This record gives sequence, structure tokens and C-alpha cells, in this order.
Amino acid sequence: MTVVAPASRTSSGRRETRTKRLLYAVGGTGAFLVFAVPLAWALFRSLQPGEVIVAAPDPAAFFDLTAENFTALVTGPGNLIRSVGNSLVVALSCAVLTTVLATAAGYGFARFRFRSGPVLFALVVASMMVPFQAILTPLYLQMNIMRLTDSLLGLVLFTTTLNLPFGVLVMRNAFSTIPGELEDSAHIDGAGTFRIVTSVLRPLITPGAATVALYAFLAAWTEFLGALTFLTDTDLYTLPVAMVNLQQETYGEINFGYIAAGSVIAMIPCVVLYVALQRFYVAGLASGAVKG
Amino acid sequence: MTTSRRGFLRLAGLGALAAGLPACSSVLPAPDTTAPGFGTSATGTVRVWCRAATQDGLTSLVDRFNASQDRLVVELTPIPDVQYVTKLATVIRARDVPDLVDIDDINSLLFVYRDAFTDLTDLIADLGYADRLSPGHLALATVEGRQYAVPYLADCSVLFCNTRLFERAGVDVDEATTDLDALRDAARRITALGGDVRGWTFPGNDQGTLGFVVQPHVWAADTDLLRGEVGAQRGNVVGNEAVARTLEFYRALWVDGLVPPDAFADDGSRWGADYQAGRIGMIPYNYSTVVLDSDPEIVADTAVRLLPGPDGGRAFFDGGDNMCIPRGAANASGAWEFVKFALDLPQQSALPEGGFTPVRSDVATPEFAARYPLVLPPLQAQDEGYAPQTLAYNEIYNQPDGPWLAMFRRAVFDGEIEAAMAEAQTGYDRILRQAQA
Amino acid sequence: MSAVTAERTSAPLASRPRTARRHSLTHPPRVGLLLVAPALAMIAVFVLAPLLFALGISFTNWPLIGEVEFTGFTNYVSIGSDLGFLRSVLYTLLYTAIVTLPILVLGYALAVLVRSRRRGATLLRTVFFLPFVVGLTTLSFVTLLEAQPNSGAINLVLAALGITDGSTAWLVDGPLATALISGMVIWGVSGLTMLLLMSGMQAIPREVYESADLDGASWWQQEWRITIPMLRRTIAMSLVISVIGSLLAFTQFYVLTKGGPGSATATVVLYIYKRAFVQLQLGAATALSVVLVVVVALVTAVQLWLVRGEE
Repeated sequence: MTVVAPASRTSSGRRETRTKRLLYAVGGTGAFLVFAVPLAWALFRSLQPGEVIVAAPDPAAFFDLTAENFTALVTGPGNLIRSVGNSLVVALSCAVLTTVLATAAGYGFARFRFRSGPVLFALVVASMMVPFQAILTPLYLQMNIMRLTDSLLGLVLFTTTLNLPFGVLVMRNAFSTIPGELEDSAHIDGAGTFRIVTSVLRPLITPGAATVALYAFLAAWTEFLGALTFLTDTDLYTLPVAMVNLQQETYGEINFGYIAAGSVIAMIPCVVLYVALQRFYVAGLASGAVKG
Repeated sequence: MTTSRRGFLRLAGLGALAAGLPACSSVLPAPDTTAPGFGTSATGTVRVWCRAATQDGLTSLVDRFNASQDRLVVELTPIPDVQYVTKLATVIRARDVPDLVDIDDINSLLFVYRDAFTDLTDLIADLGYADRLSPGHLALATVEGRQYAVPYLADCSVLFCNTRLFERAGVDVDEATTDLDALRDAARRITALGGDVRGWTFPGNDQGTLGFVVQPHVWAADTDLLRGEVGAQRGNVVGNEAVARTLEFYRALWVDGLVPPDAFADDGSRWGADYQAGRIGMIPYNYSTVVLDSDPEIVADTAVRLLPGPDGGRAFFDGGDNMCIPRGAANASGAWEFVKFALDLPQQSALPEGGFTPVRSDVATPEFAARYPLVLPPLQAQDEGYAPQTLAYNEIYNQPDGPWLAMFRRAVFDGEIEAAMAEAQTGYDRILRQAQA
Repeated sequence: MSAVTAERTSAPLASRPRTARRHSLTHPPRVGLLLVAPALAMIAVFVLAPLLFALGISFTNWPLIGEVEFTGFTNYVSIGSDLGFLRSVLYTLLYTAIVTLPILVLGYALAVLVRSRRRGATLLRTVFFLPFVVGLTTLSFVTLLEAQPNSGAINLVLAALGITDGSTAWLVDGPLATALISGMVIWGVSGLTMLLLMSGMQAIPREVYESADLDGASWWQQEWRITIPMLRRTIAMSLVISVIGSLLAFTQFYVLTKGGPGSATATVVLYIYKRAFVQLQLGAATALSVVLVVVVALVTAVQLWLVRGEE
């Protein structure tokens, strides 16, 4: 939405436009730096050896960049490649499962009238307010009984449930903006519910679905405490847990070089995925937010 | 229909949970350690847990054991230190315990006190070298004269001295480490060398390390900050002269500028870096941090002494691992065979390679002494090793908001020694009361 | 916002009953239930069941090992005298108060910047949202590094600007750590608010602004009188999300200060976590958790009611 008064209207209008443009340029550049510089700096840091990071800046060594942190993380005893793989499996599965379940539930809540509908929906939203840290121990005990601890499957189910409430919210809103006629005509043509959703409605709900998928992926990718609690076998560790494990030698010593490099490794898929999907993501948030 | 479905789901869930809560009560059955052939002829798998902090040592030990015979196969599961106690407690409740746990010795009492481990007293006596095993470790698993664990590796707090700096300052290492006043004097003379050099260093915000290196000064005076029988303990801080003098010593180090200014905020994440850089005269810490991955020149110029008390005496923190066989273990015999292997001289002699100290004093042959001189002092003075027997060590000493760190910081950085001690006494008592309830 | 939606649907009032009947043919309730069931089942099993389990445990003393004793309301009663808990509640409220408004204001400002179709707006939007994408966990680790005295970037910049000598130990001092964490969170989370608000802003029809222009309203007046009121629902939603997030804050405190120094920066969830995992007092910890859930629910309900009331 650009409030641009036609330049030829009044002299004050013209000045206003120029001021606005200047403000935009200055504000934009300033904000850009504030947001981009720290991230770029983190990248720079990961290329400094651990000792340089923790020492007072010494102009000689400061710019001696090296990939040693990354090589250590990849080839060292830390099994970091495997944990990246684990994280990918968990995050992708979570994204897919969350999207499928949230889409189904969103459709059901938006379009179908059944008696317990509002109550059940309120339940879903209410569960967003339960911090999982508060129920961590009972959940651990319970998952132990269900034999879901120390397994990636258990972690996938856990992270999916964490993201379901938000997903259902978004998808329900996405569905409720679609005019009913589309489904009616599809139904008349003989399409079953499944076909309706996957072919007819698909293009309209893709933004919402992409939002949910991306959100779920990011959440599962950076999920730390749950993974730490539910996983025991080091071969199953996800990335954040493996990083913390690596860094904490006895009595709290931390290798900051590893932290820096590990953080960058953790950032990369998030950034890549986001940039690739942001077209859908932004539209999805719009449909979820505006039509609340 | 929907309401009843929800209700059904809930009932089913609760039912499953209720069915899974059987182990709320009884203690698991103990394995029969007197059976003939126990510990010599077992077969099958042995499930062993170890903690992440010491897992490298355990991994190579397990590999060697599996390679040395083909009756038993050991499966090792490293557990993150943070979760170790909780996870062990959970599997005990679920009645699905491993055969052997290699546990931080400080945590052994938590389980021994609640009857979770097997009585190993007679097995240990049969070993033949029981009197040469670290008494400090054994004490941490002894209740009413019976021993429920066996030491495996030790992590001791000693004083490392940079002999080159000592020479430059004209201080004799042995004289300097007789008591607290001598230490302070030596620190002052070394700091006087100028520049970045300091006589001492400590991480002022790292409660775990401080507990590890500061307490021995108190223990060397034959007292502790806790008193009473396990289960009925109270703090022993107020009125404890050794504690007061130790805190005064550290306060002086800080006020006189005998430690780097970083000491104030150092949370241990860079601990030892300044000693490695050759700027520190004396650092109390453990073998692995100071010696492993160090500049060989620094190591060559390092001498080790035991930490002294206010008026002499010696003590060191007996950290490390104990090995315990949980009650209800499936293959206790195989577990004990593995333990015997771990305690055998060749394996114990190899511990310093991983940065650990052996728990058998008869490991100290002349060849061993020549190879690992810096590991020798605590081995030769095994009786001075000690670690507090209590159910609440973790909460008192290893928490950033625990009374130990609060007392240390208030006494050393704010100078309010008496007030800090009074506050600590209250804190200790409160925690002990809660833990012993 | 529902007002906007009502204007958009095409179904005239008269035809509603007919539409409803037709919907029940194309959308049989049973199918609806089936669609909703899997998600509900997951939530029931992984959120509701543990919550009930926690409720059950809160009435016992659940020791590390050994017999579980039923203790009734003891754990709840002792909350009143649990100074550590009360202190953590106050701290969490303080922290929430500190970050909520700046997140909203910054998010709004950023949204104003990127809602136009000028050159570079998309790039800006991408960059502003990146910290949120990276996630609080990773951001906390990066901050851990840069908050170190004498070597971290924060101190280096301050020293270069001459404001301090670069030796501030941010994470060892309560107020400083709080300021640092708050700053980090505001920076890292405002991107979400920005996106939410931006979408809302872009949905406001241009005609409204054009007629305001004709009436000679200034930019500021338009923002105040048109944009903000029309965004009320979106603003409310971002506030709710942000407040719940702040009340339940955990990860950044766990990574950066572990609640220290002492318990100066212990939030409620961190305190409960310690009670459960360090002090191994499950009965007490679950009682606190139940109380927390109830409180958060109340706060959210109040917030939503306030917004509805205004309309």
C-alpha cells in the first residue's frame, strides 16, 4: 500500500513524497544493517579458531579465517553429520505430518458442522497454552511406557503435537475464506472429500499449508529440550543436542569455536527453506491473520 | 457421541498409565553374588551405562574387553550427565535396569541409600587389592559398613605449579604449599614479577569447579561443611574456622590482585586458558584440563602438589566414577567380570592417557611414575582423598543459584565473610531438610 | 476482522437456511469428525494425558526411587510459601512487561517500512524475518558467544564507541543479563509481528486512504485513525502470541544464564524445570505446572475478552 499523492497535486504533496522516500531509504538501510549485520557476523565468527574468539581482539590473528571449527565438527568424534541427518528426518517428518493432520482438522472445523465442534476447537487452541516444559516429566514417563523414548518416531510425534494447534488455526482460517460454491460444484460432479481437498481446493490452501509446513520444520529443527530429554542413544541425537554435548566438557568448559560453527550449521537450512518458500509463507500468514 | 468418544479416549489413556505404574513400590531383587562361578563364566550381553563426560575412556575400555574374549559382549550406552540421575531412576521404576552403571561417584549415594544397588562387599574383599582401592570413592557407596559400588576412575583436584615462574620469583614449591599463608605469600611474590603474571587463578562464577578445588582446603583441616549421618544432616558452616580462613584466603587473593580480573565473571568456560598461556603461578584443578592437549613446554615446567589446609594437612577432591550393579540386573555375573577387567592393572595404568587418575594405588610402579609424574601425588596419598557423603551434593554445590556459590561470591568479592557464612548455613539446612524429607 | 469477512461473503441473508441444509449434504458431520479426529487424538495423548498425569502426580510426593505416597493438597499449599517460585513469577511478569510493547512497536515500524511496493521492500522483509527463522535457540548460542567480556562483539563495539571499556560481564549480572536477553528477544521476534501486521495492512483497501488524502489528512493521522483501528484484531492476536511466549520463556534463559546469577533471571518455567530435574521433587514441580497452565489460560482469556469488549 503506497500512499503516494500524485506528484503534480500540490507542492506540499511533492515534498511529502520526497520526505517519505528519504525516510524509507534511511530507515530501511538502518534497519537492514541492524538485522543483517549480526547474522553476517555470526558467519564470520564461525571461521575464527576457538582461541581467537575468546581472546581480546588481536589485530594480527583476528582476520585469520579458517574452516577448522567446521572440519572438527564434521570429522571429529561428535558425529555431527549423523545428527544433522537425524534433525532433517525429524524436521521433515514433523512438517509433513503436521501439515496433513492440520489440513484435515482445519477443513473439518471450518466447513463441517458437528455438535462438539466449537468445544473441540477451543480445546485445540487451549492446548497452545500448555508449556511442554511444565509437563515434561510426566510426558517422559508416559512415553517411556509407550516405548516411544529413545526413538526418532517418538520425537516426531512429540514435535508434531507441539505444532498442531497453530497449524489447525492457520488451516481453519485458510479454509474458511474459500467460498462454498467451489466444493458444492465439485460435489455435484461426484468428487469425494479427499479429491475435493487435494485437487479442487489445493491451490487456494497451498499458502496456508506452506506456512504450517515451514513453521513446523523450523520448530522441529531447533527443538532442544525435548530431544535432550527423550533421546538417550547418541546415534539418535539431533543437531542442537549434539552441539551442546560437544561443547560441554567436564566442569562446564565450552569450546566457543564449536558453538559458532554449530550455530551456522543450524541456521543454514532454516534460511534456505525460508527464502525458497517465502512467497507462500507470507501469503499464508496473510490468510491466517487477516481473516481471524 | 463425540463427548463420549473424548471421554473414552481419556479413560483409555488413564488406564494405560495406571497399568504402567506398577513399580511404585517394591525394591528389585538383588542378584545372587554368592552363586558359584559368579563373575567368571557368564555369557551373553552386558548392558552398561556410562556418563557422557567420561565416555571416551569407557568406549575404549569396552572395545578392549570385547576383543579380549568371546563369551560376553558389552553394549555401552552413554547418557548425558544432566539426565543421568533422572533416567536411572526412571528405569528402576520401570524395572528395566542395565547390568552395570558407571556413575558419577557423587551421585552413588542417592541410589545406594534407597536400596537400588547390589551389595558388593564380599566380591570386593575377594579381589585381593581392596585395601589399595581409593577409600574416598568407596566411602561414597558405603552404608552401614556394606559397600555397594566399586571405584573405576578418579578425577582429583590438585595444585599445579608453574616451576619456571616459581624460579623467577625465587620461591620454593614445597615451602610455598605447606599452608594457606605460605600459598598467599608465594602468590604475592609471583604476581610481583609484573605484567600479566598472577600467582593464582580461579573461576569466580563456576560453582562446580569451585566446589572441586576450594573445599579441599577445608577438608585438610579434618572438617567438612556438612555434618551428621546421611539422611539426618545439617550444614556445618557457621562457626567453622577452616571455612572462614579458606574464604579469607580467597578474599585476600582477590583484593590483593593476585588473580586475573577475569576471575570475577569466569564461569569456567575458559578455565585453564591463562595457565596454558604461562601467565599463572598456581592453578588448582584436575589432571585432564591442565595436562591433556597442552603445550608440552608448559607441562614440562609443571609440578603437582596437594592442596593444603589453613595450618597444613593435605586433601583432594575424590571425583570420578563408581561402578555399580543395579538390583534386578539380568546379567550381574557378566557385569562383575567386566568390572574386574576394568580394575585390572593394565587398564588402570592406561587411564592417564584419557586424562584420568587410576583408583588403584599399586599401579604406581617406577615405569608408571616415569611416564605420568603429574598423576602420581594423589595416588601416593590416596587416603587424603575425600568427597562429601550426602544426598544433596548436586543441589548445594553444583547449582548456579545454590548456597555454595552465593557464599563464595559474597565472601570473596563483597568481603562479607561472616554474613555469607550465616546465609549459607540457612541455605544448606533448608536444602538438606527438603532432600531428607 | 469478522466485520470485514462479513462484507466479503456473497451469500445474501435470505438464502442462508438453504445453504446450511445443502452444506450438511456435502459436508456430513460424521466426515467432519473423522477429519478432526487424528489431530485431536495426538493432542489428547501428548498434551492432555500428560497434563492429567501431572495433576495426579501433584497430589503425591513421588520420590526419586521408592514408594509413592498420596499427600493430598500439601504441594499446592506450600506454593504460597515457596519464595523461589514467587520470585520467578515476579521476574517473568517484569520480563513480559519489558519486551511486549517494544516487540509490537518495532514490528509495527518494520511493517510500515515493508508494506509498500517500493524497491527493496521484499529484500527488507526477508532480512527482517530472518532472525525469527533462525530461532531463539540458535540466537541464544550466538549471543552467548558475543556477550563474553573482552572478546565478544557486544563489548568490542561498546569499547570502540568509548561507552565502556569492554569488560562488562553481561551474563553474570541480573539487570544486565535481563537487558541483554530482552534486547535479543525483541530483535529476534519482532519479525513475526511485522509479518502479521503487514498482511493486515495490505488488506486495507486503498480507497480508504485515498479518500483520507482528499480530506487532507496527514500520514500520521491516517495511521492513527485508519490503520490501527482496522488492525485491531491482528494487533490483538500478535499481542496474545507475544505475551504467552514471554510468560512461558525458557530456552533463552536456559542457554544464557541458567537462571543465574543466583536466581536473578529465573523465569517460571525455568524454576519448575529445576524443581523437577535438579531437585528431583516431582510432586512439587507438577503442582507448580498445573498452577502455571491455569494462570496462562486466565491471562489469555482476559486479553481476548478485553479486545472483544472494545468492539
